Parts: sequence; C-alpha cells; structure tokens
Amino acid sequence: MKRCCLAIGTVFCLFLSAMGAAQDTYTFDLAEIEKKPYHLGGYVELKPVLFGLDREAAFYKLRFYNSPQGQTLPEWNGRVQLEGSYEKDIYRIYARTNTDLRQTHSGGSERTLFQEAYGSIKPSSSLKIEMGKKVMRWGKGYAWSPVSFVDRPKDPDDPELALEGYIVAAADYIKSVDGPLKTFSFTPVLLPVYDGLNGGFGSSGKMNVAGRLYFLLYDTDIDLLFLTGGSRTDRYGFDFSRNITSNFEVHGEFAYIRNQQRSVLDATGKSRLVEKDARSTLIGIRYLTTFDLTTIVEYYHNDAGFGGDDIKNYYAFINRGYDVYRSTGNASALVNAQTMGEGAYGRSGAMRDYLYVRLSQKEPFNILYFAPALTWMMNLEDRSYSLTPELLYTGITNLELRFRTTFIVGARNTEFGEKQNDYRIEFRAGYYF
Amino acid sequence: MIKTTTSPARGRITIFKSLVTLIAVLLGVPAFALDGTRLLEQVDRGLNPVSYEMYRKLINVEPSGAKKEFTMFSVKKDKDKIAALFLAPASEKGRGTLRLGENMWLYIPNVGKPIRITSLQSVVGGVFNNADILNLDYSTEYNVERMEEAGGEILLYLKAKTREVAYDRLKMWVDKKQTQPVKVECLTEAGMLIKTLYFKDRKDFGGGIARPSVIETDSPLFKGYKSVMIFAKIKKRDFKDEVFTLTFMPNLESLR
Repeated sequence: MKRCCLAIGTVFCLFLSAMGAAQDTYTFDLAEIEKKPYHLGGYVELKPVLFGLDREAAFYKLRFYNSPQGQTLPEWNGRVQLEGSYEKDIYRIYARTNTDLRQTHSGGSERTLFQEAYGSIKPSSSLKIEMGKKVMRWGKGYAWSPVSFVDRPKDPDDPELALEGYIVAAADYIKSVDGPLKTFSFTPVLLPVYDGLNGGFGSSGKMNVAGRLYFLLYDTDIDLLFLTGGSRTDRYGFDFSRNITSNFEVHGEFAYIRNQQRSVLDATGKSRLVEKDARSTLIGIRYLTTFDLTTIVEYYHNDAGFGGDDIKNYYAFINRGYDVYRSTGNASALVNAQTMGEGAYGRSGAMRDYLYVRLSQKEPFNILYFAPALTWMMNLEDRSYSLTPELLYTGITNLELRFRTTFIVGARNTEFGEKQNDYRIEFRAGYYF
Repeated sequence: MIKTTTSPARGRITIFKSLVTLIAVLLGVPAFALDGTRLLEQVDRGLNPVSYEMYRKLINVEPSGAKKEFTMFSVKKDKDKIAALFLAPASEKGRGTLRLGENMWLYIPNVGKPIRITSLQSVVGGVFNNADILNLDYSTEYNVERMEEAGGEILLYLKAKTREVAYDRLKMWVDKKQTQPVKVECLTEAGMLIKTLYFKDRKDFGGGIARPSVIETDSPLFKGYKSVMIFAKIKKRDFKDEVFTLTFMPNLESLR
C-alpha cells in the first residue's frame, strides 16, 4: 500500500511541476472563435482506488461473504464520456454517452449508456421546447437536493458528477420584467413511465406531470416545484438562494411528499411497509473569506430516511444471515439483504439527519490552479462520519488531477461504521477533449 | 466716491452662480466631481457601447512562463446585465457566468443548475477575478471623489458606491486626448494595492469602437504572476432581457 501511495504521490508531483515553455507573445486567432454548427467533445478518466477494508462491517460481510479479502482491495476504474451536438437555426440536438469500466478482484465490467440525448426547438429567447433524455437539475443544494423531483439522486461524495437523465418533454418560458421581480420562468415537464420507458422512476403505466416556477425576486432566487401523476406519490417543494453579502450566500430547500412509502425491517427481520407524509429540508451556506477559503455547510433532514433502529435491524439481519451462511452455506438471507442494499438501505444518505461541511482553499502559497479541500459528512443521529482531504490541480490545460483519501469513522451499528471500508485512497486523472 | 452699477442680466447670473455654489457646498459635491463623473462616463462609452457582444481571450502567465488560456464570448445590456460563455479550453467549454447588478451565477454543464458566486472569486484562477471578467461600467459602480492633472493624463480617484463592489477604491489614469484609461490601480478601503490593470494596444474595432485591445494585470498578492485579456470582435448588439436570466444560461451558445 505504501508503494502504491508513493507512486501516486510521485505522479501527482510530476504533473504539478510540469509546466510549458515561456513565451511573451499573446495571440488571438479569430479562427478559434469561429462558430461551427456541430460540436464533438469528451472526457476520459482513469481512477485507481485502494480500499482499506473493515472485515467486521455489515457491508463487508454482505459483499464478500463468499470471497473473503485481505486488509486492502485495489480497484481500477475508467470512464469515457463522449458528447456531440448539432445546431441549425432554431433546432438543436445533443447527446452524451457514458462508459464506466471497472476491474476488481472478481473481474472486469463495462457499462455504457446515454446519459442525455434530446432535441430542442428555440423559437425565441423566451421559449424553448425539449424532448428526449435529459437531466433537469432542480434545487439549490450542493450535496443533496430534496426538491429534485425528476432527477436521479446526487452522490454526496461527488456531487458534481454528471447524472443520467429521464426521458421527458419539457419547455422553458422566460419573462423579464422591471421592478422587484426581475425574472419569471415556468418549466412544465411531462415524464411518461411505461414498459421500457423510464422504468426505474416508479409505477408503470402513468404519465407524470412536474413543473417549476422560478422567480428572481428582491435579488433572491426562488423556485416552486411539484410532481404528480402516480409513478411516485405527489410532492411539492420550494427552494431559495440569496447572497446576503457579496461573499456570503444562503440557500435552502423544502419538499413535502405525500404518502411516502418505504419497506423497513423489524427486529426479527420481517419486512413491513410504512406509509406517511414526509418532509425533507435542506439549509446551507456558502462563504468566501478574504484569503479565498470557500466554506460550504449544509444541514439535511429527510423524514423519509431510516431511523437508527431501522438501520440496526438491517445490520442485525445481515449479521444473522452471515452466521447462517458460515454454519450451513445457505446464503438466501444474504441475497435478500443484498437486494435491499441495492435499494434504499444501501443508498448514500439513507438515514434522516446529516451535516455536510466542505472547506476548499483556492491557490494556497500562490500555487496557481491548486485547490486543497476537506470534506466532512456526519450522520447526526449516530455521530458516524466520513472525512475526505483532497488535492486538486488543474494547471495543465484540459487535464484535471485529484488525489483524495476518505476516512470512514463510526462505531458498530452506525451508518459509516458498518460501511465496507475503513478508508479509501483514490487518484483521478481526467482529460477533456 | 466710487459707483458700481450692475446690469439685471449680470445680477441674475451672479445669483445663479451663488445658488449653484451654495447647493454644491451644501451637498458636498465639488465641481470637479461633476466633471469627473462626466469624464468617467466618457471613459465607459469609449471602452464599450451600452449593449454589445465581444470575444475575449484570457491568458494566465506563471512565473515560469507557463500559460493557461481561456476563450469566452460575452454579451452585455444596459448598465447591469452581462453574461459570458467559455468556448475553450475543452475542460471549461459550455461554462457560463451571469451578472445582474451584484448577483452573479456560474453555470457548469455537468452540474447543471447555476450556482451563486461572488465577485472576488475567480472562475479562471489567476489574477483576474469574476468582477474583472463580468465588469460593469465604472460609472455604475464608482463615484469620482477627486481628479488631478498628471502630465498628459488625468488621475481619477474613484470610490465604490456600495460595499458589494469588488474593490473599495480605484485610481484611474486617463489619457486626456483619447479619454480612455491607461492604468487602473485597485485598492482596498485602507489603500492597499490589490492589483494593477494596464490598458494597451489601442485598436479600431469598427462601428465607431476604438479602444485598448489588451488589458494586462499583475498583483502584489500574486508575485511574478500576470494575466492578460485580449479583446476581439466588439460590436454593438441589442438583446432581449430574457437572455440575462438563469433559465437562459444553458443557451448562451445560441447567441453566437
């Protein structure tokens, strides 16, 4: 492991010091800004990861019950994203594919999909109509977005990752006015869920309707949002964002979800369906100091998440299943637990109350394009947490280098304490073209 | 015995002058400030039309001589609306920034939703910050406190109208003949130098627009570093207000 860390550190330092030759002439070739009707581009990424395993943790037992591992586990990840667009008059088509490659102890895997693929018509600067697979990206939160009713959930460990969209028909109508209300816009969305269409969204055979009303009112961004139609239960929400001063921003989201259903395990391992109205709240700030330290703090409460007892029952279910497997070879309970783990129980942020803090220092010691950061995410109910220091360097054109380590800390029967790893070391080299 | 006579017309002028002086004294607005304000507005109009589009290249130069370049397309309307779209490098392509008065947002295609940013941050790194990239007219953000003759130049002392403005004070050297800035020092409230902007290489862009085509900047806070902004294809153009909205940010490319 030491050799691996040393190698990664050496590569990082080499890139950090790799600079081009000096030239004092500045040129601006107008061919660089000539507009073409088409665009092709992409991104490739290599990400080796070293997991430091916690062999007593419930999620370790769940994943490796039939293939025990040592203290550490290496993994190689690759990603290729290709995007293209073509524009003519008021028409535009756009597509982005994503291919994930993974090489683990159990072999290699590859998954390719269209994250977005849609066409749009823009008859005026006030109106746009779009149809196809698209990410809507609603909400103001950085790590979580409870009002993001028509998107897949973000990964709070990497909130800026590109997401996969749903197939929708949507429009944007924008109106600017004078006075305290400067801008108004309306975004209606149709999201059909039928056989082979948006299957993962919810109940099939439904035409869902969602909408967002946006206002820039008294220098505050305000959104009112809703989703109805039956694939998921009806939900309503609002969000806001405002700069209190030029370097201090506050934002928040509130979602009200009617008749939210979730399956929970009781102490004996039996599953029962719980249904209740749920409220999700996020409140956050973004603050920039005079010495360029950006602080993001977010508190997230999710009524629909699991309580401490719910999650303990799940861990107990895994542990019992593991004991049964060890003594009899019968893995049926663990297979059930894996299915649950692929759903709500294994989701990042599966419980109710979280605190997220991210400190990012821009260009310390006058090292241009270098940004170290520290991210801390804590489950406020059981006090378990993850702590992620990272180093980011973007000084070489189109190349992004990130080195980070995540320490996962918590007692037994806590969310982070029962995760598969004690720590994770990763290096990511991404190149845009 | 000395007699003085005053004509009625001359008397009215004297009374008018006295009233202007009295009002100026009472309001604390010296006459040179009025002239300075007019001069600053001339400087603004000499640099850009009220509404326009333009292309810029930003070059960050490190002490080693290494460079990083960014190309962007910008549109502006009225006194307080400006948006910019990054065209290159590939890692930044599609990023957009929007400024409405003191409100600023950054749109990153993958992240999708625009996030609020501040004037002192820098979306490109280096010496230029967001306020330099999304700059409004100087007369929109600053009052002229006083002005001085300095050879062939006029030195304007500017003070920010509100605390939201990126720099509390500016010292602007204006070429008398061309009424265009030669150098601008950006200062804190206490007078500490944050950065210096040098306006160079005056060029005729057509359409009656002739202005410096290069702005260089350095900063005692970034010793040895330098950033350069090169201007191209500046032209008058009107836009609808809806262009300068969060909802429109993903569509800035369609304006080119």
